[in-house]
Amino acid sequence: MTATQSKPAASGSAGETRTLTLIQAITEAMQEELARDERVVVFGEDVGARGGVFLATAGLQEQFGQKRVFDTPLSEASIVGAAVGMAVRGLRPIAEIQFADYMGPGFDQIISQAAKIRYRSGGQFSAPLVIRTPSGGGVKGGHHHSQSPESYFTHTPGLKVVMPSTPYDAKGLLKAAVRGGDPVIYFEPKRLYRAVKGQVPTHDYTVELGKGAVRREGTDLTIIGYGGVMPDAEKAAQALAAEGVQAEVIDLRSLVPWDRDLVLTSVAKTGRAVLVSEAPRTSNFMGEVAYVIQEHLFDQLLAPVMQVAGFDTPYPYVQDKVYLPGANRIAAACVRALNY
Amino acid sequence: MIQPFTSDPLQWVAEDGRPIRELPARFTPGVLRDLYREMVRAREFDKKLVTLLRQGRTTFYAQASGMEATQVGLARSIRAGHDWVWPYYRDHALALALGVPMLDLVSQCLGTNSDLCRGRQMPHHFGAARQNLVSISSSIASQVPPAAGNAMAQKYLGVDEITVCTFGDGATSEGDWHAGMNMAGAAQAPCLFVCENNQWAISTNLRAQTASENIHIKAKAYGMPGYYVDGNDIVAVIEVLSQVAEQVRAGNGPALVECLTYRIGSHSNADADAEKNYRTREEVNAWLARDPIVRVERLLDHLGAPVSAEERADLISAAHREVDEAVLKAEASGQPDWRIMFEDVYADLPVHLREQAAFLRAEQEGVQA
Ligand SMILES: Cc1ncc(C[n+]2csc(CCOP(=O)(O)OP(=O)(O)O)c2C)c(N)n1
Repeated sequence: MTATQSKPAASGSAGETRTLTLIQAITEAMQEELARDERVVVFGEDVGARGGVFLATAGLQEQFGQKRVFDTPLSEASIVGAAVGMAVRGLRPIAEIQFADYMGPGFDQIISQAAKIRYRSGGQFSAPLVIRTPSGGGVKGGHHHSQSPESYFTHTPGLKVVMPSTPYDAKGLLKAAVRGGDPVIYFEPKRLYRAVKGQVPTHDYTVELGKGAVRREGTDLTIIGYGGVMPDAEKAAQALAAEGVQAEVIDLRSLVPWDRDLVLTSVAKTGRAVLVSEAPRTSNFMGEVAYVIQEHLFDQLLAPVMQVAGFDTPYPYVQDKVYLPGANRIAAACVRALNY
Repeated sequence: MIQPFTSDPLQWVAEDGRPIRELPARFTPGVLRDLYREMVRAREFDKKLVTLLRQGRTTFYAQASGMEATQVGLARSIRAGHDWVWPYYRDHALALALGVPMLDLVSQCLGTNSDLCRGRQMPHHFGAARQNLVSISSSIASQVPPAAGNAMAQKYLGVDEITVCTFGDGATSEGDWHAGMNMAGAAQAPCLFVCENNQWAISTNLRAQTASENIHIKAKAYGMPGYYVDGNDIVAVIEVLSQVAEQVRAGNGPALVECLTYRIGSHSNADADAEKNYRTREEVNAWLARDPIVRVERLLDHLGAPVSAEERADLISAAHREVDEAVLKAEASGQPDWRIMFEDVYADLPVHLREQAAFLRAEQEGVQA
């Protein structure tokens, strides 16, 4: 099977949309990519008959058979490592790691193999694969079912890292990831799986990796986030609007690569940046964003770049909600930036 | 002496309750009754916790109904509170039988102030230092290499203890499992590995998990004996595990025991509808007929010391009372507040955490940071 044999994905006409949840959009993306390209395979723990613990792959095995959608032994090292081997040999694997917290056992395969094979082989070999994994807190999961480990991966050259927050992006980014040439770590903010609904086109489309999105336009400050925190970031902006403050809200969507231009243009306009992420603060990816903002816009900043992040503690079970940077905490940081 | 690497699981008591080998003298009706009580207690704990889950008073629970003979049998085969145990998340019958108080288990499931783990772990992930029961990690098989290390320390210190490490069949696919088994074998550490083979890892059956005929033969690769036991026959479990534990204690190196059993209920609350999704009613029914508790009842019957309906009902209501009282007491202790987040992250409180705690205190209590 060569790429030229692949079929068009969806049949809908331009302009048509319907409402999907985030997880439905993810399922659809896989379904359409499986239909489009026979090289695409989907696998992981419990993804087959069970349809994944969150049911992201529900129905796919039924539709495409066990050869293309299958369960693996309980081993993340095997799942990621096998995905690398399959990708090197010409398949387009979409591997599921059941929870981002369990990237650990597959970590070496991700950073030593997936991330480096193109570079170390002088471009002779590559591993275009997607690792999908539910991440983030707010589901009463305690520390082993709530973590946000994206910064381990943004720190590793060779990997692309994305995290959608809307159904439209979830589908478009996943499709782009499957069709791209690189290993992509695709984080799914699990508390938004069913909490977020949105319009998704019926026709085939992709969302380019590395492009952010403006969720709300404003002039007084820029709130920048990604993934699970986005609904709260928008809520904070609404609350500020009621006080007469116009906040611009940017969803990064991709962390590697990330949309510097969009961020710098916005912060140049507003003069203030509030960075929001639920991952622990120390070595948080947003530290990089803050660095780039100050490097380019030092003169134009009206306040220090503010960071709202998770605490530097393991994710606590009982205080699950308190840990997360909710709308109030985000709004408070905005007020600090405004009053600086 | 019992034999390693048998092709069939070792068994003492048939499903109809008749001994198929001579019943060892220590299994008097009194001893069997005690085992029976402990198993019933664990079974009822399961039922009560599922109810608490449905009521939303806890958010996660992994049933062990059907696995009581394996877990209670293991507890009775080692020196409770003396040997060390690295369990996995389905091991409450083991914990109860090792003497972890009901209140401690219930408190952990509810995440109250009475929880020894201070509300930080997800429910059903207990740990109890007094019983040398190390806190459970959700990450499958991650306890295996540390258990090997625990046993290496015991050997180093020259203490008369062993380490027990439990896991499901799925765990044996993880790299950590192989690494830990290999380490223990190479170090000849006093570690007793117990596979609670309930045949399913969520929706993945053993046949999809490994092409290996069974789990215990994997021990061969790591230079240790592997035993195969009917995990629903508590007599067999205790006979094999206590003998193997003594061999491990005697300095003969680690061993693996595979207990073949079955989880009757769902994997967790996340797959309440297991029968609809991935396994058949017939299979579940076949294993229901092999219930380990019923087998002891039948054995007692056979020995002329039957359990009366009244005695059974009393045991069940006593277990329910025990759980109810623990729930009341746990809930009365209240919920831990935001402070628990910052304690125990490190042995001391580094400055950045002190700052973050002050920030949260200001936010939560309206106090100026
Ligand atoms: C490293 C890791 N990967 C995935 C999971 C998700 N998960 C939780 S339990 C489970 C199945 C475990 O099966 P098994 O080891 O057989 O134990 P059982 O639950 O059947 O008793 C899986 C895949 C996890 N907890 N840890």
